[in-house]
Amino acid sequence: MIPHPEQVPPRPFQYRVLGYAVAACAFTTGVAAVLLRVFDLSNVVMVFLLTVMLVALRWGRAAGALAAVVAVGSFDFFFVPPVWSFHVSDTQYLFTFLLMLAVALVTGQLAARLRAEAVTAAAGERRANALAAVAADLSVAGRDQDIANICMTRIGPLLDGKTTLLLPGRDERIPTPCYGDTGIAQWVLEQGMPAGRGTETLPANYASYLPLTTPLRTRGVLMLERKSVRPLDTEQLGLLRAFQSMIALAIERVHFVEVAHETQLRVEGERLRNALLSAVSHDLRTPLTAIRGMAGMLGESDVALAIVNQADRMQRQVTNLLDVARLQSEGVRLDLQWHALDELVGSALAATPLGARQVVVDIPAELPLVELDATLFERVLVNLFDNAAKYTPSDATLYIRADRTGSNLILRVEDDGPGFPPGIDVNALFAEFARGARESAVPGVGLGLSLSRRIIEAHGGSISASRRDPHGARFEIILVAGEPPTIDMEDPE
Amino acid sequence: MNKPRILVVEDEADIRRFLRLALEREDMTVFEVGDALHARIDAASRQPDLIVLDLGLPDDDGKAVIRDVRGWSTAPIIVLSARESETEKVAALESGADDYLVKPFGVPELVARVRAQLRRANLAGARGQASALIRFGDIVVNLATHEVWRSGEVVHLTPIEFRLLAALVRGQGKVLTHRQLLIEVWGPGHALRSHYVRVYMANLRQKLEEQPARPRHLVTELQVGYRLAGIVETP
Repeated sequence: MIPHPEQVPPRPFQYRVLGYAVAACAFTTGVAAVLLRVFDLSNVVMVFLLTVMLVALRWGRAAGALAAVVAVGSFDFFFVPPVWSFHVSDTQYLFTFLLMLAVALVTGQLAARLRAEAVTAAAGERRANALAAVAADLSVAGRDQDIANICMTRIGPLLDGKTTLLLPGRDERIPTPCYGDTGIAQWVLEQGMPAGRGTETLPANYASYLPLTTPLRTRGVLMLERKSVRPLDTEQLGLLRAFQSMIALAIERVHFVEVAHETQLRVEGERLRNALLSAVSHDLRTPLTAIRGMAGMLGESDVALAIVNQADRMQRQVTNLLDVARLQSEGVRLDLQWHALDELVGSALAATPLGARQVVVDIPAELPLVELDATLFERVLVNLFDNAAKYTPSDATLYIRADRTGSNLILRVEDDGPGFPPGIDVNALFAEFARGARESAVPGVGLGLSLSRRIIEAHGGSISASRRDPHGARFEIILVAGEPPTIDMEDPE
Repeated sequence: MNKPRILVVEDEADIRRFLRLALEREDMTVFEVGDALHARIDAASRQPDLIVLDLGLPDDDGKAVIRDVRGWSTAPIIVLSARESETEKVAALESGADDYLVKPFGVPELVARVRAQLRRANLAGARGQASALIRFGDIVVNLATHEVWRSGEVVHLTPIEFRLLAALVRGQGKVLTHRQLLIEVWGPGHALRSHYVRVYMANLRQKLEEQPARPRHLVTELQVGYRLAGIVETP
């Protein structure tokens, strides 16, 4: 820690002020000798008292006390009969001496205290002015560099030394090489404790490293180097503490200004991307809607049906592409809500044309709600069902089962079709643009599964593929069950 | 019955043309407009029986048009929208739209929705809520006595389950958003608890649907709400 004020040794006593006190008394004696020609002895005493008070006012308590004694002595020696001797003929003078000594001491000490208070007040004012000036500068500093400059040019001189600001980079490390000792600076940053000279940690170091701490965290380190061997005095220590918190707050303010600025930029960028995506989405969907609709007008011919089918397929690919683009540009932002798994399965089944394929759904009614983004999760299911429709004959059966094991919900989508081609790594299917059979007659760019994996992983779950016995494909989605919100069930009738 | 009059509001000329062809083939009279300004004018002057409205109009927000038209007309409004804009669909429904179609859609889908909405409007206009007996699939609901039968057997529903079913029945095939259902069944304090609807809807499906995971009547409109499909007109 910074040394406490009481640990600071007082300024060494300056003996020359005692010399000044004696000299002042000698001078007064001379003046008194002249005055005595005109004035009475009892008036001359007042001149000595005045001197004692002035000495105390100018040079302090000790000088005042000495002056009081010397003044009484010289008054006795030079002016009280018999002169040139400390002998006193009239005992009345003994009373005068006592009174004079008492008055001189009291006025001297009062004057000295007055002076001390004036000095303290002046120092306080000086410190307040310095603080105010630095605070004003720090409050308009817009960058870390500005703050560093203020530390160098304004704060250092006030502390009779050189102050350097050491700030961590984005990785929370003080950059190396830096001015000073990186190791100590890093320690100070992490511990929030001062180190180096004048502290309990590594006091032998030539510089002090002081943490710049705000209520939130330690934002940087102030390094203080001083040539003087004397420690900081109370006034400077007070200043230093004030500077520490002012600099810390200034750094924090600059930091939050930057954060706000970056956020604004990101929001702008995001808005632009969203606008772009929705424009692309609209531009692709409009012709598709027209094509699909017009083909629907052509009646029940094979050609018309084929156009409708292809338009539908293209629509699903466009949707996948847009979803991939959206997920890539924004990361996955989930709109999490508590959903019933069977409802999502039902919705996805309704959205996928499966032809004459049988669908067997086995989802226990008592399965808990699960927290997920319904639109994205439906996308996963539609892709899986769509795959089943693409790769199985039209008399295949689709099995959809869900279960809870421990803290997980498992959803399996299986078919009894031909399954994956032999010799391929089934889990490589989830890599981007992978497809089971190279250049097969079945359309699709393999976007669906990689998109599905990305969506499931964003939910904290996993998706895997395996071969089903005796034949067919199996996809397994594992989700975290979580803690569904409670529902105030009504009282049974 | 007169030919139904349909107002199509869509800024893409090709889609407008296909909508017109598809609906005219169903023996309907179609008026086309391409922007919100003319949509407002024609909705007033042509007195359409139903409005098909694209939400993305060049000159104004489709939802504003819905609100304006709803001020003086009860004609059903079917909204055309893109898949990913669930909040947009919900906002449109809560502004007063009755149903929506996701682009791209097929002719049979379009015709089915238009016919269902016209029927609903006719029923509402002809007899209001006079008939308490509603039938869909093998389910019969008596709104007056709160009784429900499935294939002739009484189904026991809790009060909330019945209120939820009754809300969907009264909607007559209209898509009801989670919020609308929560407010109607549970009250305004529950407007944000959409998982309540999901849990009770699952219960209803267990009791009323043959395959709860592939519902035929209690249909999920994902991220939007629910509607009752397959209502038979006269029990």
